[in-house]
Amino acid sequence: MARPKDDRNASLLALTSSALLLPAYQCAQADAPPEFTELGMRYSKYDEDDILARKAFGGGSERYEIDVAQFHLLAPVADQWSVALDVAWEDMSGASPWFVGESASGSPKVIMSGASIEDTRTEVSGTTRYYYDRGNAGINYTYSDEDDYTSHAVAVDGAFNSEDGLTTYSAAVSTSHDNIDPTQGSIPTNTLNARKDINSVWMGVTRIVSKRALLRFGLSYTYRDGFLTDPYKGDDRRPDERKEWAASTGYRHFFEAPNAALHVDYRYFNDDWDVESHTVDVAWEQNLPQNFRVTPFIRYYTQQEAEFFYNIEEPGYEHFSDDYRLSAFGAFSYGLRLRHDFGNWSVNFDAERYKTDESWGIYSGEESPGLVDFWRYGFGLDYIFR
Amino acid sequence: MSLLMIVVLCGCETVQPWERGILAKEEMQWQTNAAEAQLRNQIYASKEASSGGAGASGGGCGCN
Amino acid sequence: MSAAAQVSLDSLRGKVVYVDFWASWCGPCRISFPILQQLRDELGPEGFEVLAINLDEDESDARQFLADVTVSYPVVRDAAGVTPRAFGVMGMPTGYLVDRAGVVRVIHQGFRKSDGEPLRASIVELLGE
Repeated sequence: MARPKDDRNASLLALTSSALLLPAYQCAQADAPPEFTELGMRYSKYDEDDILARKAFGGGSERYEIDVAQFHLLAPVADQWSVALDVAWEDMSGASPWFVGESASGSPKVIMSGASIEDTRTEVSGTTRYYYDRGNAGINYTYSDEDDYTSHAVAVDGAFNSEDGLTTYSAAVSTSHDNIDPTQGSIPTNTLNARKDINSVWMGVTRIVSKRALLRFGLSYTYRDGFLTDPYKGDDRRPDERKEWAASTGYRHFFEAPNAALHVDYRYFNDDWDVESHTVDVAWEQNLPQNFRVTPFIRYYTQQEAEFFYNIEEPGYEHFSDDYRLSAFGAFSYGLRLRHDFGNWSVNFDAERYKTDESWGIYSGEESPGLVDFWRYGFGLDYIFR
Repeated sequence: MSLLMIVVLCGCETVQPWERGILAKEEMQWQTNAAEAQLRNQIYASKEASSGGAGASGGGCGCN
Repeated sequence: MSAAAQVSLDSLRGKVVYVDFWASWCGPCRISFPILQQLRDELGPEGFEVLAINLDEDESDARQFLADVTVSYPVVRDAAGVTPRAFGVMGMPTGYLVDRAGVVRVIHQGFRKSDGEPLRASIVELLGE
Protein backbone atom coordinates (compact mmCIF):
# COMPACT_ATOMS: atom_id res chain seq x y z
CA MET A 1 0.00 0.00 0.00
CA ALA A 2 1.26 3.44 -0.84
CA ARG A 3 0.20 6.83 0.44
CA PRO A 4 -1.15 9.01 -2.35
CA LYS A 5 0.87 11.77 -3.89
CA ASP A 6 -0.64 15.24 -4.07
CA ASP A 7 -0.95 15.28 -7.85
CA ARG A 8 -3.05 12.15 -7.68
CA ASN A 9 -5.42 13.84 -5.25
CA ALA A 10 -5.73 16.73 -7.64
CA SER A 11 -6.64 14.48 -10.51
CA LEU A 12 -9.31 12.75 -8.47
CA LEU A 13 -10.79 16.00 -7.22
CA ALA A 14 -11.07 17.20 -10.78
CA LEU A 15 -12.76 13.98 -11.64
CA THR A 16 -15.24 13.95 -8.80
CA SER A 17 -16.35 17.49 -9.48
CA SER A 18 -17.62 16.44 -12.90
CA ALA A 19 -19.98 13.54 -13.34
CA LEU A 20 -18.20 10.35 -14.31
CA LEU A 21 -20.10 9.06 -17.32
CA LEU A 22 -19.66 5.37 -17.81
CA PRO A 23 -22.02 2.64 -18.92
CA ALA A 24 -22.63 0.40 -15.89
CA TYR A 25 -22.86 -3.36 -15.56
CA GLN A 26 -24.12 -5.41 -12.73
CA CYS A 27 -21.47 -6.76 -12.39
CA ALA A 28 1.41 -6.44 -18.30
CA GLN A 29 0.48 -6.06 -14.92
CA ALA A 30 2.45 -6.42 -11.69
CA ASP A 31 4.43 -9.65 -11.32
CA ALA A 32 2.41 -12.31 -9.60
CA PRO A 33 2.75 -16.01 -8.89
CA PRO A 34 0.59 -18.38 -10.94
CA GLU A 35 -3.02 -18.17 -9.75
CA PHE A 36 -3.54 -21.93 -9.81
CA THR A 37 -1.59 -25.13 -9.48
CA GLU A 38 -0.66 -26.59 -12.86
CA LEU A 39 0.11 -30.20 -13.62
CA GLY A 40 1.50 -31.47 -16.93
CA MET A 41 2.50 -34.79 -18.40
CA ARG A 42 4.10 -35.46 -21.71
CA TYR A 43 5.35 -38.35 -23.79
CA SER A 44 7.75 -37.82 -26.71
CA LYS A 45 9.52 -40.02 -29.19
CA TYR A 46 12.77 -39.10 -30.88
CA ASP A 47 13.64 -41.34 -33.82
CA GLU A 48 16.69 -40.99 -36.07
CA ASP A 49 16.56 -42.17 -39.69
CA ASP A 50 18.63 -45.24 -40.56
CA ILE A 51 22.10 -44.45 -41.80
CA LEU A 52 22.28 -45.01 -45.56
CA ALA A 53 24.29 -47.96 -46.90
CA ARG A 54 26.45 -45.67 -49.05
CA LYS A 55 27.49 -43.70 -45.98
CA ALA A 56 28.40 -46.59 -43.68
CA PHE A 57 30.70 -49.58 -43.73
CA GLY A 58 28.75 -52.78 -43.25
CA GLY A 59 25.61 -51.38 -44.93
CA GLY A 60 22.77 -49.26 -43.65
CA SER A 61 21.79 -49.61 -40.05
CA GLU A 62 19.46 -48.27 -37.44
CA ARG A 63 20.51 -45.26 -35.42
CA TYR A 64 19.33 -43.81 -32.19
CA GLU A 65 15.92 -43.53 -30.63
CA ILE A 66 14.74 -42.05 -27.35
CA ASP A 67 11.45 -42.36 -25.49
CA VAL A 68 10.88 -39.44 -23.15
CA ALA A 69 8.33 -39.00 -20.38
CA GLN A 70 8.07 -35.59 -18.69
CA PHE A 71 6.21 -34.52 -15.59
CA HIS A 72 5.66 -30.90 -14.55
CA LEU A 73 4.12 -29.40 -11.44
CA LEU A 74 3.89 -25.67 -10.70
CA ALA A 75 2.15 -24.41 -7.58
CA PRO A 76 1.66 -21.01 -5.96
CA VAL A 77 2.81 -20.97 -2.34
CA ALA A 78 2.06 -18.42 0.37
CA ASP A 79 1.05 -15.42 -1.77
CA GLN A 80 4.45 -14.40 -3.11
CA TRP A 81 6.15 -17.68 -3.95
CA SER A 82 5.85 -20.54 -6.35
CA VAL A 83 7.51 -23.93 -6.50
CA ALA A 84 8.00 -26.11 -9.54
CA LEU A 85 9.05 -29.71 -9.90
CA ASP A 86 10.08 -31.15 -13.24
CA VAL A 87 11.01 -34.78 -13.77
CA ALA A 88 12.07 -36.38 -17.05
CA TRP A 89 12.78 -40.03 -17.83
CA GLU A 90 14.53 -40.99 -21.04
CA ASP A 91 15.06 -44.42 -22.46
CA MET A 92 17.74 -44.44 -25.14
CA SER A 93 18.72 -47.24 -27.47
CA GLY A 94 20.42 -47.84 -30.80
CA ALA A 95 23.70 -47.09 -32.49
CA SER A 96 25.88 -44.01 -32.90
CA PRO A 97 28.74 -43.31 -35.31
CA TRP A 98 31.91 -44.80 -33.79
CA PHE A 99 34.46 -43.47 -36.23
CA VAL A 100 34.89 -42.42 -39.84
CA GLY A 101 37.13 -44.34 -42.25
CA GLU A 102 38.08 -44.03 -45.88
CA SER A 103 36.34 -46.39 -48.29
CA ALA A 104 38.03 -48.05 -51.29
CA SER A 105 36.59 -45.33 -53.54
CA GLY A 106 38.12 -42.65 -51.33
CA SER A 107 34.88 -41.33 -49.85
CA PRO A 108 34.60 -41.28 -46.06
CA LYS A 109 32.13 -43.66 -44.42
CA VAL A 110 31.14 -44.16 -40.81
CA ILE A 111 31.52 -47.27 -38.74
CA MET A 112 28.58 -47.56 -36.39
CA SER A 113 28.96 -48.63 -32.79
CA GLY A 114 26.55 -51.53 -33.39
CA ALA A 115 23.24 -51.64 -31.57
CA SER A 116 25.12 -51.53 -28.31
CA ILE A 117 23.87 -48.43 -26.56
CA GLU A 118 21.20 -48.95 -23.91
CA ASP A 119 20.85 -46.22 -21.37
CA THR A 120 18.26 -44.52 -19.26
CA ARG A 121 18.41 -40.98 -17.94
CA THR A 122 16.48 -39.46 -15.06
CA GLU A 123 16.42 -35.73 -14.52
CA VAL A 124 14.89 -34.08 -11.48
CA SER A 125 14.63 -30.32 -11.34
CA GLY A 126 13.24 -28.15 -8.56
CA THR A 127 12.64 -24.40 -8.78
CA THR A 128 11.42 -21.93 -6.24
CA ARG A 129 10.51 -18.41 -7.26
CA TYR A 130 9.78 -15.23 -5.32
CA TYR A 131 7.57 -12.52 -6.83
CA TYR A 132 8.08 -8.95 -5.73
CA ASP A 133 6.16 -5.89 -6.92
CA ARG A 134 8.27 -5.28 -9.99
CA GLY A 135 9.74 -8.63 -10.87
CA ASN A 136 10.65 -12.08 -9.71
CA ALA A 137 13.69 -14.15 -8.81
CA GLY A 138 14.18 -17.89 -8.86
CA ILE A 139 16.64 -20.57 -7.90
CA ASN A 140 16.80 -23.96 -9.57
CA TYR A 141 18.60 -27.19 -8.82
CA THR A 142 18.79 -29.95 -11.44
CA TYR A 143 20.14 -33.44 -11.01
CA SER A 144 20.60 -35.74 -13.97
CA ASP A 145 21.66 -39.36 -13.77
CA GLU A 146 22.56 -41.88 -16.48
CA ASP A 147 24.53 -45.13 -16.37
CA ASP A 148 27.61 -43.27 -17.54
CA TYR A 149 26.94 -39.62 -16.66
CA THR A 150 25.80 -37.58 -13.68
CA SER A 151 25.25 -33.86 -13.45
CA HIS A 152 24.45 -31.44 -10.65
CA ALA A 153 23.47 -27.93 -11.68
CA VAL A 154 22.34 -24.79 -9.88
CA ALA A 155 20.87 -21.74 -11.62
CA VAL A 156 19.77 -18.38 -10.24
CA ASP A 157 17.76 -15.91 -12.28
CA GLY A 158 15.94 -12.63 -11.80
CA ALA A 159 13.76 -10.20 -13.69
CA PHE A 160 13.10 -6.54 -12.98
CA ASN A 161 10.49 -4.31 -14.63
CA SER A 162 10.98 -0.61 -15.30
CA GLU A 163 8.56 1.70 -13.46
CA ASP A 164 6.30 2.10 -16.50
CA GLY A 165 6.40 -1.67 -16.98
CA LEU A 166 7.44 -1.31 -20.62
CA THR A 167 10.91 -2.79 -20.19
CA THR A 168 12.00 -5.92 -18.33
CA TYR A 169 15.64 -6.59 -17.50
CA SER A 170 16.59 -10.21 -16.80
CA ALA A 171 19.76 -12.02 -15.80
CA ALA A 172 20.76 -15.55 -14.94
CA VAL A 173 23.82 -17.47 -13.84
CA SER A 174 24.25 -21.22 -13.74
CA THR A 175 26.89 -23.73 -12.81
CA SER A 176 26.99 -27.44 -13.58
CA HIS A 177 29.35 -30.13 -12.32
CA ASP A 178 29.30 -33.25 -14.42
CA ASN A 179 30.93 -36.64 -14.02
CA ILE A 180 31.57 -38.94 -16.98
CA ASP A 181 32.00 -42.63 -16.27
CA PRO A 182 31.76 -44.47 -19.63
CA THR A 183 30.20 -47.92 -19.73
CA GLN A 184 32.89 -50.46 -20.51
CA GLY A 185 31.69 -52.82 -23.21
CA SER A 186 32.56 -53.93 -26.71
CA ILE A 187 34.29 -50.71 -27.73
CA PRO A 188 37.22 -49.03 -25.98
CA THR A 189 36.44 -45.65 -24.42
CA ASN A 190 38.51 -42.47 -24.37
CA THR A 191 38.47 -42.21 -20.60
CA LEU A 192 37.55 -44.33 -17.61
CA ASN A 193 36.39 -41.45 -15.48
CA ALA A 194 36.46 -37.69 -16.07
CA ARG A 195 34.85 -34.44 -14.97
CA LYS A 196 33.57 -31.35 -16.64
CA ASP A 197 32.24 -28.04 -15.37
CA ILE A 198 29.91 -25.70 -17.23
CA ASN A 199 29.45 -22.10 -16.07
CA SER A 200 27.09 -19.74 -17.81
CA VAL A 201 25.84 -16.16 -17.52
CA TRP A 202 22.98 -14.60 -19.41
CA MET A 203 21.44 -11.11 -19.67
CA GLY A 204 18.30 -10.09 -21.46
CA VAL A 205 16.07 -7.09 -22.13
CA THR A 206 12.43 -7.34 -23.13
CA ARG A 207 10.54 -4.34 -24.39
CA ILE A 208 6.89 -3.71 -25.19
CA VAL A 209 6.93 -2.28 -28.71
CA SER A 210 3.21 -1.68 -29.14
CA LYS A 211 -0.15 -3.01 -27.91
CA ARG A 212 0.48 -6.06 -30.04
CA ALA A 213 4.26 -6.50 -30.24
CA LEU A 214 7.12 -7.52 -27.96
CA LEU A 215 10.84 -7.57 -28.63
CA ARG A 216 13.75 -9.03 -26.68
CA PHE A 217 17.52 -9.27 -26.82
CA GLY A 218 19.76 -11.64 -24.95
CA LEU A 219 23.47 -12.21 -24.56
CA SER A 220 25.04 -15.27 -23.00
CA TYR A 221 28.52 -16.52 -22.24
CA THR A 222 29.31 -20.13 -21.38
CA TYR A 223 32.61 -21.54 -20.18
CA ARG A 224 33.18 -25.29 -20.32
CA ASP A 225 36.14 -26.79 -18.60
CA GLY A 226 37.26 -30.40 -18.31
CA PHE A 227 36.78 -33.53 -20.40
CA LEU A 228 34.93 -32.27 -23.49
CA THR A 229 35.89 -35.22 -25.69
CA ASP A 230 33.22 -37.76 -26.67
CA PRO A 231 34.16 -40.84 -24.61
CA TYR A 232 32.76 -43.31 -27.15
CA LYS A 233 34.09 -42.00 -30.46
CA GLY A 234 36.98 -43.83 -32.12
CA ASP A 235 39.70 -41.25 -31.84
CA ASP A 236 38.37 -38.06 -30.35
CA ARG A 237 40.68 -35.50 -28.76
CA ARG A 238 39.09 -32.13 -28.06
CA PRO A 239 40.52 -29.17 -26.17
CA ASP A 240 39.72 -29.25 -22.44
CA GLU A 241 38.27 -25.75 -22.50
CA ARG A 242 35.57 -24.05 -24.54
CA LYS A 243 34.32 -20.44 -24.47
CA GLU A 244 30.98 -19.77 -26.12
CA TRP A 245 29.04 -16.59 -26.89
CA ALA A 246 25.45 -16.40 -27.99
CA ALA A 247 23.43 -13.32 -28.94
CA SER A 248 19.74 -13.78 -29.49
CA THR A 249 16.70 -11.75 -30.36
CA GLY A 250 13.01 -12.57 -30.43
CA TYR A 251 9.86 -10.86 -31.66
CA ARG A 252 6.17 -11.56 -31.02
CA HIS A 253 3.36 -9.88 -32.95
CA PHE A 254 -0.36 -10.41 -32.62
CA PHE A 255 -2.62 -10.07 -35.65
CA GLU A 256 -6.26 -9.46 -34.77
CA ALA A 257 -7.89 -10.27 -38.11
CA PRO A 258 -6.62 -13.86 -38.29
CA ASN A 259 -6.50 -14.09 -34.44
CA ALA A 260 -2.92 -15.34 -34.58
CA ALA A 261 0.51 -14.57 -33.18
CA LEU A 262 3.77 -14.55 -35.14
CA HIS A 263 6.91 -15.73 -33.34
CA VAL A 264 10.34 -15.00 -34.78
CA ASP A 265 13.58 -15.90 -32.98
CA TYR A 266 17.18 -15.61 -34.09
CA ARG A 267 20.43 -16.67 -32.43
CA TYR A 268 24.04 -16.03 -33.37
CA PHE A 269 26.55 -18.36 -31.75
CA ASN A 270 30.32 -18.24 -31.72
CA ASP A 271 33.03 -20.11 -29.81
CA ASP A 272 36.78 -20.49 -29.53
CA TRP A 273 36.71 -23.85 -31.35
CA ASP A 274 35.94 -21.78 -34.47
CA VAL A 275 32.33 -22.87 -34.51
CA GLU A 276 29.98 -20.12 -35.65
CA SER A 277 26.27 -20.61 -36.26
CA HIS A 278 22.99 -18.91 -37.11
CA THR A 279 19.58 -20.18 -36.04
CA VAL A 280 16.22 -18.83 -37.19
CA ASP A 281 12.93 -20.05 -35.73
CA VAL A 282 9.54 -18.91 -37.04
CA ALA A 283 6.17 -20.03 -35.71
CA TRP A 284 2.59 -18.99 -36.40
CA GLU A 285 0.19 -19.54 -33.50
CA GLN A 286 -3.21 -19.68 -35.15
CA ASN A 287 -6.28 -19.69 -32.91
CA LEU A 288 -9.25 -21.62 -34.25
CA PRO A 289 -12.86 -21.81 -33.06
CA GLN A 290 -13.77 -24.04 -30.10
CA ASN A 291 -10.47 -23.40 -28.29
CA PHE A 292 -8.30 -25.15 -30.85
CA ARG A 293 -4.94 -23.79 -31.87
CA VAL A 294 -2.66 -24.94 -34.66
CA THR A 295 0.98 -23.84 -34.84
CA PRO A 296 3.11 -24.54 -37.88
CA PHE A 297 6.80 -23.81 -37.32
CA ILE A 298 10.04 -23.87 -39.28
CA ARG A 299 13.65 -23.67 -38.17
CA TYR A 300 16.86 -23.15 -40.09
CA TYR A 301 20.29 -23.79 -38.63
CA THR A 302 23.73 -23.48 -40.16
CA GLN A 303 27.15 -23.94 -38.58
CA GLN A 304 30.82 -23.62 -39.44
CA GLU A 305 33.03 -26.62 -38.68
CA ALA A 306 35.25 -26.73 -35.60
CA GLU A 307 38.91 -26.04 -36.35
CA PHE A 308 39.87 -29.64 -35.48
CA PHE A 309 37.11 -31.38 -37.44
CA TYR A 310 38.33 -33.75 -40.18
CA ASN A 311 36.79 -36.92 -41.54
CA ILE A 312 40.16 -38.66 -41.75
CA GLU A 313 42.95 -38.13 -39.26
CA GLU A 314 46.50 -37.25 -40.36
CA PRO A 315 49.49 -37.78 -38.07
CA GLY A 316 50.49 -34.81 -35.97
CA TYR A 317 47.07 -33.30 -35.13
CA GLU A 318 46.94 -32.08 -31.54
CA HIS A 319 43.17 -32.07 -31.49
CA PHE A 320 40.93 -34.16 -33.69
CA SER A 321 37.30 -35.12 -34.05
CA ASP A 322 35.32 -36.73 -36.86
CA ASP A 323 32.05 -36.12 -34.99
CA TYR A 324 29.41 -34.98 -37.50
CA ARG A 325 28.17 -32.49 -34.88
CA LEU A 326 31.36 -30.47 -35.35
CA SER A 327 31.21 -30.48 -39.18
CA ALA A 328 29.86 -27.70 -41.40
CA PHE A 329 26.23 -28.28 -42.32
CA GLY A 330 22.79 -26.77 -42.65
CA ALA A 331 19.61 -28.14 -41.12
CA PHE A 332 15.97 -27.47 -41.90
CA SER A 333 13.22 -28.56 -39.60
CA TYR A 334 9.49 -28.05 -39.80
CA GLY A 335 6.61 -29.20 -37.73
CA LEU A 336 3.16 -28.68 -36.39
CA ARG A 337 1.65 -28.28 -32.93
CA LEU A 338 -2.03 -28.81 -32.23
CA ARG A 339 -3.64 -27.74 -28.98
CA HIS A 340 -7.13 -27.96 -27.60
CA ASP A 341 -8.34 -26.48 -24.31
CA PHE A 342 -11.50 -27.77 -22.64
CA GLY A 343 -12.47 -26.80 -19.11
CA ASN A 344 -9.41 -27.16 -16.93
CA TRP A 345 -7.70 -29.48 -19.40
CA SER A 346 -5.37 -28.81 -22.27
CA VAL A 347 -4.23 -31.46 -24.70
CA ASN A 348 -1.50 -31.06 -27.29
CA PHE A 349 0.17 -33.02 -30.08
CA ASP A 350 3.27 -32.10 -32.00
CA ALA A 351 5.47 -33.53 -34.73
CA GLU A 352 8.74 -32.30 -36.16
CA ARG A 353 10.91 -33.37 -39.07
CA TYR A 354 14.63 -32.45 -38.97
CA LYS A 355 16.90 -32.86 -42.01
CA THR A 356 20.56 -31.99 -42.52
CA ASP A 357 22.83 -31.53 -45.51
CA GLU A 358 26.29 -30.08 -45.94
CA SER A 359 25.14 -28.12 -49.02
CA TRP A 360 22.34 -26.38 -47.09
CA GLY A 361 24.81 -24.50 -44.94
CA ILE A 362 26.29 -21.08 -45.63
CA TYR A 363 29.73 -22.32 -44.51
CA SER A 364 31.72 -24.69 -46.66
CA GLY A 365 33.60 -27.66 -45.25
CA GLU A 366 34.14 -31.37 -45.50
CA GLU A 367 30.83 -33.21 -45.57
CA SER A 368 30.48 -35.68 -42.72
CA PRO A 369 28.92 -39.04 -43.64
CA GLY A 370 27.42 -39.14 -40.15
CA LEU A 371 24.90 -36.26 -40.49
CA VAL A 372 21.61 -37.08 -38.84
CA ASP A 373 17.94 -36.72 -39.85
CA PHE A 374 15.19 -37.40 -37.35
CA TRP A 375 11.51 -37.31 -36.45
CA ARG A 376 10.16 -36.12 -33.14
CA TYR A 377 6.58 -36.67 -31.95
CA GLY A 378 4.96 -35.64 -28.71
CA PHE A 379 1.71 -35.84 -26.84
CA GLY A 380 0.96 -33.80 -23.73
CA LEU A 381 -1.84 -33.34 -21.25
CA ASP A 382 -2.09 -30.40 -18.83
CA TYR A 383 -4.48 -29.73 -16.01
CA ILE A 384 -5.16 -26.55 -14.01
CA PHE A 385 -6.59 -26.88 -10.48
CA ARG A 386 -9.03 -24.00 -10.83
CA MET B 1 24.41 -4.93 -30.76
CA SER B 2 23.84 -2.31 -28.06
CA LEU B 3 23.57 0.36 -30.73
CA LEU B 4 20.91 -1.68 -32.50
CA MET B 5 19.06 -2.05 -29.21
CA ILE B 6 18.99 1.70 -28.61
CA VAL B 7 17.74 2.41 -32.12
CA VAL B 8 14.99 -0.17 -31.82
CA LEU B 9 13.97 0.78 -28.29
CA CYS B 10 13.48 4.40 -29.24
CA GLY B 11 10.95 3.35 -31.88
CA CYS B 12 8.55 2.06 -29.22
CA GLU B 13 5.21 3.59 -28.29
CA THR B 14 3.97 4.05 -24.76
CA VAL B 15 1.53 1.27 -24.02
CA GLN B 16 -0.54 1.98 -20.90
CA PRO B 17 -0.83 -0.77 -18.26
CA TRP B 18 -4.49 -1.31 -19.13
CA GLU B 19 -3.66 -1.67 -22.82
CA ARG B 20 -1.63 -4.85 -22.36
CA GLY B 21 -4.40 -7.40 -22.71
CA ILE B 22 -3.15 -8.72 -26.06
CA LEU B 23 0.41 -8.96 -24.75
CA ALA B 24 -0.88 -11.03 -21.82
CA LYS B 25 -2.34 -13.68 -24.14
CA GLU B 26 -0.81 -17.10 -23.82
CA GLU B 27 0.12 -17.25 -27.52
CA MET B 28 2.18 -14.05 -27.12
CA GLN B 29 4.54 -15.56 -24.52
CA TRP B 30 8.16 -16.36 -25.39
CA GLN B 31 7.40 -20.04 -24.91
CA THR B 32 3.96 -21.51 -25.38
CA ASN B 33 4.86 -25.04 -24.30
CA ALA B 34 7.76 -25.11 -21.83
CA ALA B 35 8.14 -28.89 -21.66
CA GLU B 36 8.27 -29.25 -25.42
CA ALA B 37 10.64 -26.30 -25.77
CA GLN B 38 12.97 -27.79 -23.17
CA LEU B 39 13.09 -31.12 -25.01
CA ARG B 40 13.58 -29.44 -28.40
CA ASN B 41 16.46 -27.36 -27.10
CA GLN B 42 18.06 -30.40 -25.50
CA ILE B 43 17.84 -32.36 -28.77
CA TYR B 44 19.21 -29.49 -30.87
CA ALA B 45 22.06 -28.93 -28.41
CA SER B 46 23.00 -32.60 -28.55
CA LYS B 47 22.94 -32.83 -32.38
CA GLU B 48 24.50 -29.46 -33.18
CA ALA B 49 27.62 -27.65 -31.97
CA SER B 50 25.68 -24.69 -30.50
CA SER B 51 23.59 -24.20 -27.41
CA GLY B 52 22.29 -21.48 -25.13
CA GLY B 53 20.90 -18.09 -25.97
CA ALA B 54 17.55 -18.19 -24.20
CA GLY B 55 18.32 -17.98 -20.50
CA ALA B 56 21.04 -19.70 -18.53
CA SER B 57 21.89 -23.20 -19.61
CA GLY B 58 20.69 -25.94 -17.33
CA GLY B 59 22.59 -29.04 -16.33
CA GLY B 60 24.54 -31.20 -18.70
CA CYS B 61 23.74 -34.65 -19.98
CA GLY B 62 25.64 -37.35 -21.83
CA CYS B 63 23.15 -37.09 -24.70
CA ASN B 64 24.99 -38.86 -27.50
CA MET C 1 -26.53 -4.48 -17.53
CA SER C 2 -28.06 -1.58 -19.31
CA ALA C 3 -25.92 0.42 -21.70
CA ALA C 4 -27.67 3.61 -20.69
CA ALA C 5 -26.96 3.23 -16.97
CA GLN C 6 -24.17 5.43 -15.70
CA VAL C 7 -22.38 5.82 -12.43
CA SER C 8 -20.95 9.01 -11.05
CA LEU C 9 -18.41 9.19 -8.24
CA ASP C 10 -20.29 12.26 -7.04
CA SER C 11 -23.28 10.05 -6.34
CA LEU C 12 -21.07 8.01 -3.99
CA ARG C 13 -19.84 11.09 -2.05
CA GLY C 14 -20.27 10.52 1.66
CA LYS C 15 -19.23 6.87 1.33
CA VAL C 16 -15.79 5.31 1.55
CA VAL C 17 -15.21 4.01 -2.00
CA TYR C 18 -12.65 1.59 -3.36
CA VAL C 19 -12.23 2.45 -7.06
CA ASP C 20 -10.79 -0.69 -8.67
CA PHE C 21 -9.29 -0.65 -12.16
CA TRP C 22 -9.25 -4.15 -13.61
CA ALA C 23 -9.23 -6.28 -16.76
CA SER C 24 -10.20 -9.88 -17.47
CA TRP C 25 -6.67 -10.83 -18.57
CA CYS C 26 -5.06 -9.67 -15.31
CA GLY C 27 -4.41 -12.57 -12.92
CA PRO C 28 -4.32 -10.66 -9.60
CA CYS C 29 -7.63 -8.99 -10.58
CA ARG C 30 -9.27 -12.40 -10.36
CA ILE C 31 -7.85 -12.82 -6.86
CA SER C 32 -9.12 -9.40 -5.77
CA PHE C 33 -12.80 -9.86 -6.74
CA PRO C 34 -13.99 -12.29 -4.06
CA ILE C 35 -12.01 -10.38 -1.41
CA LEU C 36 -13.55 -7.04 -2.41
CA GLN C 37 -17.01 -8.67 -2.44
CA GLN C 38 -16.45 -9.95 1.09
CA LEU C 39 -15.33 -6.52 2.33
CA ARG C 40 -18.35 -4.91 0.73
CA ASP C 41 -20.73 -7.50 2.26
CA GLU C 42 -19.24 -6.85 5.67
CA LEU C 43 -18.68 -3.09 5.59
CA GLY C 44 -21.34 -1.99 3.09
CA PRO C 45 -23.92 -1.22 5.80
CA GLU C 46 -21.41 1.16 7.43
CA GLY C 47 -20.96 3.12 4.20
CA PHE C 48 -18.33 1.25 2.16
CA GLU C 49 -18.73 0.76 -1.59
CA VAL C 50 -16.64 -0.75 -4.37
CA LEU C 51 -16.68 0.77 -7.84
CA ALA C 52 -14.98 -1.54 -10.33
CA ILE C 53 -13.89 0.00 -13.63
CA ASN C 54 -13.29 -2.50 -16.38
CA LEU C 55 -10.61 -1.64 -18.94
CA ASP C 56 -10.88 -4.56 -21.38
CA GLU C 57 -10.67 -3.55 -25.01
CA ASP C 58 -13.14 -6.27 -25.88
CA GLU C 59 -16.36 -6.08 -23.88
CA SER C 60 -17.13 -9.78 -24.38
CA ASP C 61 -13.95 -10.68 -22.42
CA ALA C 62 -15.25 -8.68 -19.45
CA ARG C 63 -18.69 -10.29 -19.67
CA GLN C 64 -17.17 -13.75 -19.73
CA PHE C 65 -15.09 -12.93 -16.65
CA LEU C 66 -18.14 -11.60 -14.79
CA ALA C 67 -20.16 -14.71 -15.69
CA ASP C 68 -17.42 -16.64 -13.94
CA VAL C 69 -16.77 -14.33 -10.99
CA THR C 70 -20.03 -12.69 -9.94
CA VAL C 71 -20.06 -9.64 -7.70
CA SER C 72 -22.89 -7.45 -6.44
CA TYR C 73 -21.03 -4.14 -6.45
CA PRO C 74 -21.26 -1.84 -9.49
CA VAL C 75 -18.94 -2.67 -12.38
CA VAL C 76 -18.57 -0.03 -15.05
CA ARG C 77 -16.65 0.05 -18.27
CA ASP C 78 -14.23 2.61 -19.66
CA ALA C 79 -12.93 1.25 -22.95
CA ALA C 80 -11.51 4.65 -23.93
CA GLY C 81 -9.18 4.71 -20.91
CA VAL C 82 -10.16 8.22 -19.78
CA THR C 83 -10.41 7.41 -16.06
CA PRO C 84 -7.22 5.33 -15.64
CA ARG C 85 -5.30 8.15 -17.32
CA ALA C 86 -6.87 10.69 -14.97
CA PHE C 87 -6.10 8.53 -11.92
CA GLY C 88 -2.57 7.78 -13.13
CA VAL C 89 -2.91 3.99 -13.09
CA MET C 90 0.59 2.45 -13.17
CA GLY C 91 -0.23 -1.26 -13.09
CA MET C 92 -3.04 -3.77 -13.13
CA PRO C 93 -4.98 -3.88 -10.96
CA THR C 94 -4.77 -0.53 -9.16
CA GLY C 95 -7.26 0.41 -6.47
CA TYR C 96 -7.89 3.91 -5.03
CA LEU C 97 -9.45 4.14 -1.61
CA VAL C 98 -11.46 7.38 -1.49
CA ASP C 99 -12.66 8.81 1.84
CA ARG C 100 -16.11 10.24 2.60
CA ALA C 101 -14.96 13.68 1.45
CA GLY C 102 -13.94 12.36 -1.97
CA VAL C 103 -10.16 12.43 -1.41
CA VAL C 104 -7.89 9.53 -2.42
CA ARG C 105 -6.23 8.26 0.75
CA VAL C 106 -4.63 4.97 -0.27
CA ILE C 107 -3.36 3.68 -3.61
CA HIS C 108 -3.11 -0.06 -3.90
CA GLN C 109 -1.21 -1.58 -6.81
CA GLY C 110 -1.36 -5.31 -7.63
CA PHE C 111 -3.35 -7.70 -5.48
CA ARG C 112 -2.44 -10.66 -3.31
CA LYS C 113 -4.65 -12.73 -1.02
CA SER C 114 -2.89 -11.35 2.04
CA ASP C 115 -3.72 -7.77 0.97
CA GLY C 116 -7.32 -8.20 2.18
CA GLU C 117 -6.52 -7.70 5.87
CA PRO C 118 -4.53 -4.42 5.65
CA LEU C 119 -7.06 -3.09 3.14
CA ARG C 120 -9.88 -3.88 5.57
CA ALA C 121 -8.02 -2.00 8.32
CA SER C 122 -7.66 1.08 6.08
CA ILE C 123 -11.35 0.99 5.18
CA VAL C 124 -12.40 0.68 8.82
CA GLU C 125 -10.16 3.62 9.73
CA LEU C 126 -11.69 5.81 7.01
CA LEU C 127 -15.23 4.76 7.93
CA GLY C 128 -14.54 5.94 11.49
CA GLU C 129 -13.47 9.44 10.46
